[in-house]
Amino acid sequence: MYQTPVIPRPLAPLPRLPGDEWGTQVQLFEEIFVVFLVLGTIVGVVVVSYTLYNAYKYRDRGEESGEADRPVLGELPTGEGGGRKLFLSFFLSAVIVISLVAWTYGALLYVEAGPDDQGTDENLDVDVVGFQFGWEFEYPNGHSETNELRVPADRTVTLTFTATDVWHNFGIPELRVKADAIPGQTTETWFIAEETGEYTAWCFELCGVGHSDMVADVIVMEPEEWEEWYEDPEAYENGETDAEDESDVDEETDEEENGENDAAEDEPDDESEAVVTAVTR
Amino acid sequence: MSDLPPASTVKRWLVTTNHKDVGILYLVTALFFLLLGGVLALLIRVQLWTPGPSLLSGGAYNEAVTTHGLLMVFWFLSPFAFGFANYVVPLQIGAKDLAFPRLNALSYWAYVFSGLLMVISFFQGGTYDAGWTMYAPLNIPEYSPSVGGTTAVLALVLFVVSVTIGTVNFLVTIHRGRAEGMGMWNLPLFTWSILLTVWMMLFAFAALLGALLLLGSDRIVGTLYFTATGTGDSSLLWAHLFWFFGHPEVYIVFFPALGVMLEIFQTFSGRRLVGRKWVILAMILIAVQSFLVWMHHMFLTSINLEIKTLMMATTIGISLPFDLIVFALIYTLVKGRVQFTTPFLFSLGALLLFILGGITGVFLGATVLDYEFRGTYWVVAHFHYVMFGGATALFGALYYWYPKMTGRMYDEFLGKLHFGTFFVGFNLLYFPLFLAWETPRRVFEYNVELITWHQLATIGGFIVGASFLIMFYNLYVSYWNGEPVGENPWEFSRTAEWAIESPPPLENWPGRASYADGSLSFIETAPAHAADGGRATDGGVVSQFVEVREPTETELAHAEVHEDHASIWPFAIGLGVFVLFLGLSGLHAGELQGPHYLVAIAAGLGLSAYALLGFGLEEFNAPEALIAERWPFEGVGKTKLGVWFFLASDVVVFGAVIGAFVFIRAGMGWGAWETVPPDPLPGLVNTFVLLTSSFTVILALVAAERKSKRGLLAAMGATLALGFTFLGIKAWEWSYEFSVGIYPQTSIEASVYYVTTGLHGLHVVLGMLIALFMFARIYRSDAYLEDHRPVEFFGLYWHFVDIVWVFLFPLFYLM
Repeated sequence: MYQTPVIPRPLAPLPRLPGDEWGTQVQLFEEIFVVFLVLGTIVGVVVVSYTLYNAYKYRDRGEESGEADRPVLGELPTGEGGGRKLFLSFFLSAVIVISLVAWTYGALLYVEAGPDDQGTDENLDVDVVGFQFGWEFEYPNGHSETNELRVPADRTVTLTFTATDVWHNFGIPELRVKADAIPGQTTETWFIAEETGEYTAWCFELCGVGHSDMVADVIVMEPEEWEEWYEDPEAYENGETDAEDESDVDEETDEEENGENDAAEDEPDDESEAVVTAVTR
Repeated sequence: MSDLPPASTVKRWLVTTNHKDVGILYLVTALFFLLLGGVLALLIRVQLWTPGPSLLSGGAYNEAVTTHGLLMVFWFLSPFAFGFANYVVPLQIGAKDLAFPRLNALSYWAYVFSGLLMVISFFQGGTYDAGWTMYAPLNIPEYSPSVGGTTAVLALVLFVVSVTIGTVNFLVTIHRGRAEGMGMWNLPLFTWSILLTVWMMLFAFAALLGALLLLGSDRIVGTLYFTATGTGDSSLLWAHLFWFFGHPEVYIVFFPALGVMLEIFQTFSGRRLVGRKWVILAMILIAVQSFLVWMHHMFLTSINLEIKTLMMATTIGISLPFDLIVFALIYTLVKGRVQFTTPFLFSLGALLLFILGGITGVFLGATVLDYEFRGTYWVVAHFHYVMFGGATALFGALYYWYPKMTGRMYDEFLGKLHFGTFFVGFNLLYFPLFLAWETPRRVFEYNVELITWHQLATIGGFIVGASFLIMFYNLYVSYWNGEPVGENPWEFSRTAEWAIESPPPLENWPGRASYADGSLSFIETAPAHAADGGRATDGGVVSQFVEVREPTETELAHAEVHEDHASIWPFAIGLGVFVLFLGLSGLHAGELQGPHYLVAIAAGLGLSAYALLGFGLEEFNAPEALIAERWPFEGVGKTKLGVWFFLASDVVVFGAVIGAFVFIRAGMGWGAWETVPPDPLPGLVNTFVLLTSSFTVILALVAAERKSKRGLLAAMGATLALGFTFLGIKAWEWSYEFSVGIYPQTSIEASVYYVTTGLHGLHVVLGMLIALFMFARIYRSDAYLEDHRPVEFFGLYWHFVDIVWVFLFPLFYLM
């Protein structure tokens, strides 16, 4: 077990080599999100405090302090001076926003291109078909599962989406995977799961009466174990191996109460996410 | 019918065309829809108290989220803002009314009846349930089959009709009706914001109308637009059409609130706006740019990286002018004498909420982050901070102009209590949603770890709801017991509405408003009234602005014209269309769901025709601004300008429908498309027929100018004959196609052919009805010989219809 520190690098040179530093979609999202969150909070606090400070400082005390040219009823509207300060603030905010978004552009190119091993044997391709109301996963060996995706840890998984009826959107929040599934179109995304465990995939686009129930289990397995399952999924699921934990998990998810069974330590919860600076492997 | 009954009668409110009355009607109606949408919101929040189904079933929950969105965005936010616009804009620019008062009333009645259709749709086997974004193909009858779903789509069509009428009206009013001396740069900022809003509306809502017509045709006739585009490369058609409207809509909703903030910040800080010119330029820039960012709603679809990059750049680009506006607002407070009244608190609150909404929006502008935020509560929280945050300023506007509208002051304590409760509740409602952002939208199942945030939000939701009870109580009590106010309760108000009584008299001003000498004055022409201004006695206090002057000759000529403020026909037209649409909702893919729907269609058509005729025959003298600033349309008459604006929006409607054809055909393979008409010859003949009719319309105008009744009758008669020839050939062509089994439902090619040429045919039919009406009037009462302008307006419309055909003929017959 070792730790890979993920340090916010807003000033890092813009073009990063694909696959070089951004890492998984989880790491990439954490890094960018944290930077945005920190800067966003600072800007928000500064601007809001400054506004409130001025509103309070210049509150009406019922009398004029010194010369003041107040607007009068019936005048033709004109503006006040003060343009320089306005433009300075505008310029500052523009620099922050533009540089932030430009910085993320490298990450976008990286996500779009996918990690190096895409298209190699290292990569696992799964075709995903959304339908009312569920997900069909089809593996390269022809095996297919409904509402259950099993993938090996630490390996790039490329998902190719389409839908048979209406728009759906596939997302696994914990693994930062998201893609539209549109009838007549194919879209693609990829992810690398670093931790074994069970995750939930939801539908993020309103698709009809069963939209809320359109969930799928995503099971990230140890690579060797996954290979074992992949060789002969039926035999594996019939309990001909020592995968006791897995079958436990399966039973639980059959019940209505999903979400409950995700053990807290398996995944970062929402609060700690914002401050996570290290990903444990 | 020209006498306006007193405000205490019901009749007054059915017939009024006065902008202030219509404004009040808009406000009251919009607040009703706020309550309705709010109740739906609370149902949603109750459902989300715990994960999993509870109060509502899956279908009912979808109906709740869908109609909550539709009602709030369409039937609350914009109409609420336009209630103020109706009331205040003519006052701010020194006009006596909007340019077309009867159309203004019509716009209101179309709005009310469209809302009524929404309400009824709940009881027709469930209302529309495919989300307010109405994504295809979930929006077609196959996936959302209820009759109520069709009613909701028709309700939206009627709503867009209302918006288009209102848009044309406001554009003409603001461009042509400004008081002497009030240039464009001198427009008060609320009026500026409304002007830019209606410019955006003119084009954005036209695109939505195009999309809705296709959807309506799919649902009612059973055409295949969104069935077919659910399978091919063109499956993004709806998303493109919708978001081309949908993104400008965000600013359409937000701009009026921004205008209110700009006004209120100045009034309650005693300062003029810092960088006023730059703020106006920033707003213009946003209005233009709003049409160039729509695909940022589609980052996860199959659009390519180049387009994503472009859209990301324009998205960031559009956030920058907002930065400038926010800073301008903040710096306006500096060195001010800030008065923390209720309207100011709401505006300040709106600014703070908008800052938060803006910052969280930058997250969404970064495409990689958007990939993860798509479809989550981050988006929900963000746009509520922006849109509802903006609406916060509109509640400020309600308190700001309440004394003007009622003549009485609201209760300041209750107002502040409302603000406090609202602001706390708002943040308790929406801030936790940022923390629970991983929750998928429109889903009542969620990760149980997020339950605390959702429960806080639900509590916040009820606090926000309760805060409005305080508001309604305040408005009600103050209406009866509030402190009477004079003209101007605010120390630093500047705009003209504060220079007259509260509430203002029917004609707004003593005489006419003018800024010719640099500040407001009311110029009375002495002979129009009894010698020593009888005016000064009623109220008297306004005399400070009144200037008595000899009338000019034009003024003398118009002094005797009686101005009308009442007409029942706008209401009647609204009712007729309402009944018609209710009947149409019973058509499901070409099949009638029951005989009562047929009765409704017939009754609706009859009533609409009768009401339109009544509208056309009624003598109605709108208050006319004889002396006004008209830049940049000095040379264009009032009605003509209105026709031009209407045609501009119609160009976009046809653009959307023809664009849909090109998009679908390109997506399916241009060459693989089968041309529907078996023979181009009838189309070619029709092209000549229509072009000739354009010529005869010009002859009609020439005859009218020469005051030749026979020439005019002959030319209009020829136009009618040519129009009937066109429709006859069209009917023959269609009946032939039906006979060989080509129906609108047959194939996507047939759908596109029938809908596009059918929409054009509908324009021809409408033109023929107008021409028939005019022909009868020329024949019976020698109309248009003295004033030939209506012939010219009809000609403009008719030429437009002909030009559209010149595009359609090659597209559908030759290619």
